[in-house]
Amino acid sequence: MTLSSSATAEHIYATGLRNQWHPVVPSHFVAPGAMRKVTALGEQWLLFRRSDGVLSMLADRCPHRGAPLSLGKHLGDRVACWYHGVEVESDGTVSSVPGLPGCSLEGKKLVTSLPVREVAGAILAYFGDEEHPEPAELALPEPLTDPEVDAFLCYAEWNAPWRYAVENLLDPMHGAFLHHDSHTMFDGDTTAKFRIRETARGYFFEKTDQRGVNFDWVELCRTGVDWVDLSIPYPPSAGPGGPFGIVGMVCPVDEQRSGVFFWRYRRVEDWQRASWRFLYRTLIEQRHWDVLEQDRVMLEAMPADADQQENLYQHDLGVVRLRRLYRAAAEAQSTAGV
Amino acid sequence: MTDTWPYLDVHQSRTHEPTPYEYKLAATLEEVFTREGHELADVVRGLNARQVHAADGSPWTEESFRAEMNRLGA
Ligand code: FES
Ligand SMILES: [Fe+2]
Repeated sequence: MTLSSSATAEHIYATGLRNQWHPVVPSHFVAPGAMRKVTALGEQWLLFRRSDGVLSMLADRCPHRGAPLSLGKHLGDRVACWYHGVEVESDGTVSSVPGLPGCSLEGKKLVTSLPVREVAGAILAYFGDEEHPEPAELALPEPLTDPEVDAFLCYAEWNAPWRYAVENLLDPMHGAFLHHDSHTMFDGDTTAKFRIRETARGYFFEKTDQRGVNFDWVELCRTGVDWVDLSIPYPPSAGPGGPFGIVGMVCPVDEQRSGVFFWRYRRVEDWQRASWRFLYRTLIEQRHWDVLEQDRVMLEAMPADADQQENLYQHDLGVVRLRRLYRAAAEAQSTAGV
Repeated sequence: MTDTWPYLDVHQSRTHEPTPYEYKLAATLEEVFTREGHELADVVRGLNARQVHAADGSPWTEESFRAEMNRLGA
């Protein structure tokens, strides 16, 4: 199964944009020598890791009669379908048809295999449609590549559409209300004016009258993968090093579900870095989790037609901008009805 | 590794459940950061003043505190 360019714009908007990179699951979900079935962009995939660590991602569909390869057997450098034993290499080539040696399927690349990269503990894959199989250029978030920045990944699975998860990040004002009783977002005005500031890679949505107090700004970055960057002050108890930042990404799992990736990062070094890491593991991670659960509870409770019956105001400009951008991309990627 | 949806794991950064010593040290460290400041000398003084000592019972020095943080925060 490959992503089809004849999908409707509606389907693409609901299941995730194509022809770009998306996060899939954390790297450690697929141990060396292991396989894992995953859903992403509404399709079934198989993550396959050789014992030497090399990872590949295949459509979870046997080229013979469509049985899931994820029910098959890991043979070290290839997978054998359980149904009739057809063997598929990690690049999608059929290496053997045990029941009929010399069969014409052998040597043909019949299974879609997606380009993958592992970044800061997460697996990213390029989801091209049939007309765009070559991976788009990928620029990684600087906080994840800067050696002076230290980050912990938090991954969670939510029963909420991917768009709601991204929209939530382009809506900084919810911090002052939803997260009012939290360790980091208790402070700051509950009224604000926002503006959009365009950049070469996306846009900032930011308060005009407050910075460095609550969740006061966010940058949407489209660099081959979509991600957001934001910064939130820590209370003094978190020690030296200033605010922490979040790089956020969302995996569109299917129409109703998403995987969320939050790297909490801090620009710290030496003993300050070590003490933050110690406190994070021992006490702070739990508090961050409690904040994230507030988001999950809210987003999972949103009605399915929430974005059809709204009355938006100035604070929602960041969300409106995001939808316009994603809708236009979905339209452009759909050849249905053309 | 569980395959069941949803994956909701509070602790993803730990290698082990913190020991009572680690919990105590972390909680005291937060209090020291809040009340005494963020300089290394203040932190060491603050921990010692609260009698929250190293695992072997000896008072902290800047060197021993640094080494312990590097171990626990590696
Ligand atoms: S369906 Fe896989 S070998 Fe027949
Ligand atoms: Fe939130």
